[in-house]
Amino acid sequence: MTHPTDTGVRRRASDRPPALADLLGEATVLEITEQAWTALVGEDEVLVPLPAPLPAVTRSSWVEIVGPWTGTVVLTCGADTAVELTGALLREHAPAVLEDEDVDDALGELANVVGGNVKAVLPGPSVLGLPEVGTTPPAGREANTCRVAVLWRGQPLTVSVQSPAV
Amino acid sequence: MTVRALVIDDSRAMRRIVTGTLEGFGYETRQAGNGQEALDVLREGWLPDLCTIDWNMPVMDGLQFVNAVRANPAWRTLTLMMVTSESEHGQIVRALAAGAHEYVIKPFTADAIRDKLALLGLLPQEASL
Repeated sequence: MTHPTDTGVRRRASDRPPALADLLGEATVLEITEQAWTALVGEDEVLVPLPAPLPAVTRSSWVEIVGPWTGTVVLTCGADTAVELTGALLREHAPAVLEDEDVDDALGELANVVGGNVKAVLPGPSVLGLPEVGTTPPAGREANTCRVAVLWRGQPLTVSVQSPAV
Repeated sequence: MTVRALVIDDSRAMRRIVTGTLEGFGYETRQAGNGQEALDVLREGWLPDLCTIDWNMPVMDGLQFVNAVRANPAWRTLTLMMVTSESEHGQIVRALAAGAHEYVIKPFTADAIRDKLALLGLLPQEASL
């Protein structure tokens, strides 16, 4: 059985990796992110596709995809937004006091879910890495990055699908 | 009758969400942070009716856990449900071929879990009302 999007075309090792722009666009990344938000953060949680500057102190989570296309899916938001996001994600399951570990875990899981669904629309087979969280995500090649900037509860966050900087 | 579930995920947040959802349906739950921890729970003798299993986890991933469970005849009654962001068609086929009964792709809703449990005959009667 072949995957519905499998064209049967195979790459040789000497072939250049596919350009990201040929594989997915901002609309797809936004749709995947919105689906993750609706299901995990809340049905009424709207993402408004409006770019706005990120605050000085940010938190990022990211997952690596390795396959015919290799790169990273990065979620970045303000540190305060990350805490609010964790509370919204856990809802009634949240501990009385949110620890940094809870915030990193929740942010990592969001990157994992978005990354897993981004992987599904890219050519496969690919391997999804474990999520990582920090203040400095891996650098991407700006010319080969698909970035979506949104507002959640009026606060900016970005989701980037990026090829590695060479 | 109490229905038991072992929730296996390396994300504490996701374990809390899945556990909360299942407890809302009347399940008694335990949690494990990876496949190896889950095997330890089974070897203790705490046998659940259902295991929900993430795919990508450190130490022992979800597919390795499914293979380990299916290799042990004493655990053949366990119902295994993948709950994962791995949504490639080939991965779904691999998990089902290895012995998983159902496959839920993250992000999911509580209703999606309820529907799968109903299909598996593992939805406590009070939760199906």
